[in-house]
Amino acid sequence: MTITIAAVEVHKRFGGVLALRDVSISVAEGQVVGLIGPNGSGKSTLLNVMAGVERPTAGRVVLDGKRVDGLPAHRIVERGVAKTHQIPRPFLGMTTEDNVTVAALYGSWKVRDAGAAREQARKVLNLIGLDGQADALAASLTVQTRKRLEFGRAIATGARILLLDEIFAGLSPDELREAIRLFTHVQEEIGFGALVVEHVMPAVLTISEHVVVIEEGRKIAAGTPSEVVRDPNVIEAYLGTEAARAAT
Amino acid sequence: MNFGRLLRSAPTLWGLAGFLVVLAVWGPWIPTFVLTLLINLLLFASLAYSMNFIAGLTGYVSFGHVVFMGTGAYAWGYVVGTFGWHPLAGIVAGAAVGLVLALGIGSVALRFRGVYFAIATLVTALAARNIILVIPALGDGQGIILNLGFEPLTWFYTIWVILGIQVGLTYWVTHGRIGYGLRAIKSDEDAAKALGVDAARLKLFVFAFSGLFAGAAGALNVWTLSGVFPEPAFDLLFSLQMLAMVIIGGMGTLLGPLLGAVAVYLPHNYFLTVAVGAEFIVIGILVTFFALVVPQGIVGALRRYVPTLRGIIE
Repeated sequence: MTITIAAVEVHKRFGGVLALRDVSISVAEGQVVGLIGPNGSGKSTLLNVMAGVERPTAGRVVLDGKRVDGLPAHRIVERGVAKTHQIPRPFLGMTTEDNVTVAALYGSWKVRDAGAAREQARKVLNLIGLDGQADALAASLTVQTRKRLEFGRAIATGARILLLDEIFAGLSPDELREAIRLFTHVQEEIGFGALVVEHVMPAVLTISEHVVVIEEGRKIAAGTPSEVVRDPNVIEAYLGTEAARAAT
Repeated sequence: MNFGRLLRSAPTLWGLAGFLVVLAVWGPWIPTFVLTLLINLLLFASLAYSMNFIAGLTGYVSFGHVVFMGTGAYAWGYVVGTFGWHPLAGIVAGAAVGLVLALGIGSVALRFRGVYFAIATLVTALAARNIILVIPALGDGQGIILNLGFEPLTWFYTIWVILGIQVGLTYWVTHGRIGYGLRAIKSDEDAAKALGVDAARLKLFVFAFSGLFAGAAGALNVWTLSGVFPEPAFDLLFSLQMLAMVIIGGMGTLLGPLLGAVAVYLPHNYFLTVAVGAEFIVIGILVTFFALVVPQGIVGALRRYVPTLRGIIE
């Protein structure tokens, strides 16, 4: 049984600002969906609403056929959906392995024994290539390694759908290629679904089978990567002619 | 599990257990004067472990912790004075009141963070004192005076049992699944929630222990004084002393609260006969020093500067 998470006609208001207006999006296990849009268009807000960090002002979030908006974040994680933070938030005083162990102990994987959770954590660290730094304090990791740890922690919760907030941002071209290769490898290995918020166009177009574009809280386009980059709305709002030319 | 492996897996726990066993065996032969000092030291340690459950393990600094001591003390005075309960049963009543109050206060106050939590708990302590002042059954602001015997050995073994349970519980919650969750909450509560940690429940869980033991210690304290009075029972300086002990000893550690209790109790007791109140100058300087120079406290400093102790003390 694969699971699906969907935001249905979601509105989110912060005081006088309407951050999301009538946005619908869905991701199934095994599927990678890209979510793009200019700065401040509401991408992170949408992720927060789906992860239970924020409540929608109107609309629903449906996970596996059941409404989950209004549930606290940890209950959503329990049901198999985990989110990463745009700026990684590792537990700085804990080792890399302990960081991942917390995720294994409290996620949807339902393991209660610390020893078994540590074993699971080591497997995840292996998978994402951080096994060499298992005993390093998270505070000593570089920003790029912290991003990888953030990704690893989300996986270690046992999540079947990941909500990934700009995990490819700020990488050099070489690092980006490596990160995309790693992501694809891990995704094929585990088969999770992912909603990927991203600014880095080559990354999002490579890994996504479906792309949704939002601007000022509104969904303005959706489709395959090649359809989306040819969409006149998208070109006008966000991509600019150069990227559109590159895609065609 | 063979004994050697157990000993190696938790040397601090066994060290503390050994210390307590020595005290228990020595008990009947301890001179009365030393015994009364030890009772007070163990009482301080018990209060430190109580504070450690919440401030040490989650980083939530409770300024109003004396509220649990004070209400525990009054619960003891009430059931012993009015219903003629045995003082030991009164200790259980004090613990129960501390537990229930912690669940009530915690389920609201733990929604606040940082200084807001500190203020919320502080207000409960002030409010509780003022409420108790006007309750006729609790002495109408005059306190409850009881004439009970001088039983240092009973007091000693009572606080010994309370402290023993606290040490064991501290070990239990700092290891295994709960320990990972608490460390995650202390480090970054929102990130912990994003990994599935039910932060609200875990915080309330340790806060409940914290209130329970402060209630029991508060009850024992007034048993040794044979009476409960509103001003000393709700003296905010107790809250500060509890914090001082945990900061000096090492926040969230297993051994730290005991070391912090010694560090606070010695000046406290010395200045009692020399210059009352001067102990707070010494304690204040100690807290400032530790907060600025070694925020991990004595235990943290030992782990940092004495490599051989790193794997031993916690």
